[in-house]
Amino acid sequence: MIQIVTGDPRPISKQIVDGIRMKIVTGELVPGSKIPSVRGLAMQLTINTNTVARAYAKLTDEGLVEARKGLGLFVCPPRQLLSDAEREKRLGEQVDKFINEIIGLNYPNQTIVDRLSERLNALNTFHNSPNNPKQAK
Amino acid sequence: MAEYIIEAHNICKDYSNKRVLNSLNLQLPAGGVHAVVGGNGAGKSTLFRVLLGLVQPTSGSASILGCDSRELTPQIRGKIGFVNEDHSLPEWMTVKALTKMQKSHYPQWQDDVYQQVIGNFFLRPAQKISQLSRGERAGLCLAMALAQKPEVLILDEPTLGLDVVAKQSFFESLLFTQDHDNCTILYCSHHMEEVERIADSLIIMERGEIKTVEAPEDFCQRIQYWVAEFNANPLQQAPQKDLVPDLLQLRKIDDAYHYMVLDHQADFGAFLRQHGAISPMQNPVSLDRAINAYLTRGLHLQQQKYLHKQEKV
Repeated sequence: MIQIVTGDPRPISKQIVDGIRMKIVTGELVPGSKIPSVRGLAMQLTINTNTVARAYAKLTDEGLVEARKGLGLFVCPPRQLLSDAEREKRLGEQVDKFINEIIGLNYPNQTIVDRLSERLNALNTFHNSPNNPKQAK
Repeated sequence: MAEYIIEAHNICKDYSNKRVLNSLNLQLPAGGVHAVVGGNGAGKSTLFRVLLGLVQPTSGSASILGCDSRELTPQIRGKIGFVNEDHSLPEWMTVKALTKMQKSHYPQWQDDVYQQVIGNFFLRPAQKISQLSRGERAGLCLAMALAQKPEVLILDEPTLGLDVVAKQSFFESLLFTQDHDNCTILYCSHHMEEVERIADSLIIMERGEIKTVEAPEDFCQRIQYWVAEFNANPLQQAPQKDLVPDLLQLRKIDDAYHYMVLDHQADFGAFLRQHGAISPMQNPVSLDRAINAYLTRGLHLQQQKYLHKQEKV
């Protein structure tokens, strides 16, 4: 169940994108599962259908879901959409940005690292789970 | 078919010697939900009345569906639905009698839509209109407006004073009982959470003028919200309006200064750092905060000045 809140700094369409992405990453929505129709989700949340359509277009662009003609939208199997170099670059950019924001707060490095891993571990993503064959090796 | 469904050219409207609409221009393409937002007395209702031909503009012209608002034919009027906050209805009739009468007036009447909306509001045909609650009256008005298969639907604060249940029924009916590709909705409300839920485009009105027409997300992106603390003697160091021309709002909360700026091109964080800010942080802005900051721009700055004077005393 996707939830949205009004008055959030994120626009509703972004909240939907984030919500579904999170459900996919945490394994709550497995590859091949169907996501609600545009109209269905709009009715569930009492929002404009155009907003849901925009969110779904974004998810499709990101390769997280795909449309099967006449059947609806389905979660795609996980695959790497970006090249290794691009992933590396994006991670680097975000890390730099994060460091710039927090460096002035004068916390010891270890505290920052601990906080980050605490939050990441809480996500229980596919990549962290013991079922991941890569991790098992 | 006209290129724009709703058009207004240089509309001015004076009530005695008060100017309510000031050279207002508006062009809306077909489809979508357009939300008009503005303070009380911004001219929203007057604009709607001028568009509907209920009020004559002092100068300028308006048109709906390609027809001049002053000369709307019955055929064109049949394609325009209007619901306002009064929900005025013939009190002596029953729901059933009113339905029958309305049905005979509109050739395009969609009874399935009507029944569905009536059902959303749990209305019974035998009920007397004089005994309906505020929410039920709103529901009945909306049901009639939607059933006539409107190409334009104008809603003037339709949910004013409705409880949560009636509001939910109202939006469910508005958004999902019919196909929206052929209906343009022009709507005004003071409830930002409604606007956020349903608006495709945001129209901000102020003192009889239209300030902006854009997607709500795009509007939020134009506004930046920064929080910074300054070194000792903050009063003199924190840059004020004279240094930040695009400042919308500046508030001091505890020791931190909260800046909201509009359309700031350069790096505002770097600017604050230059003026001695410690670790300025940009925060995301929600739609209601963005609109609030925009509509109260200037006001907060004046108040700030007043507070500073008091602090000095």
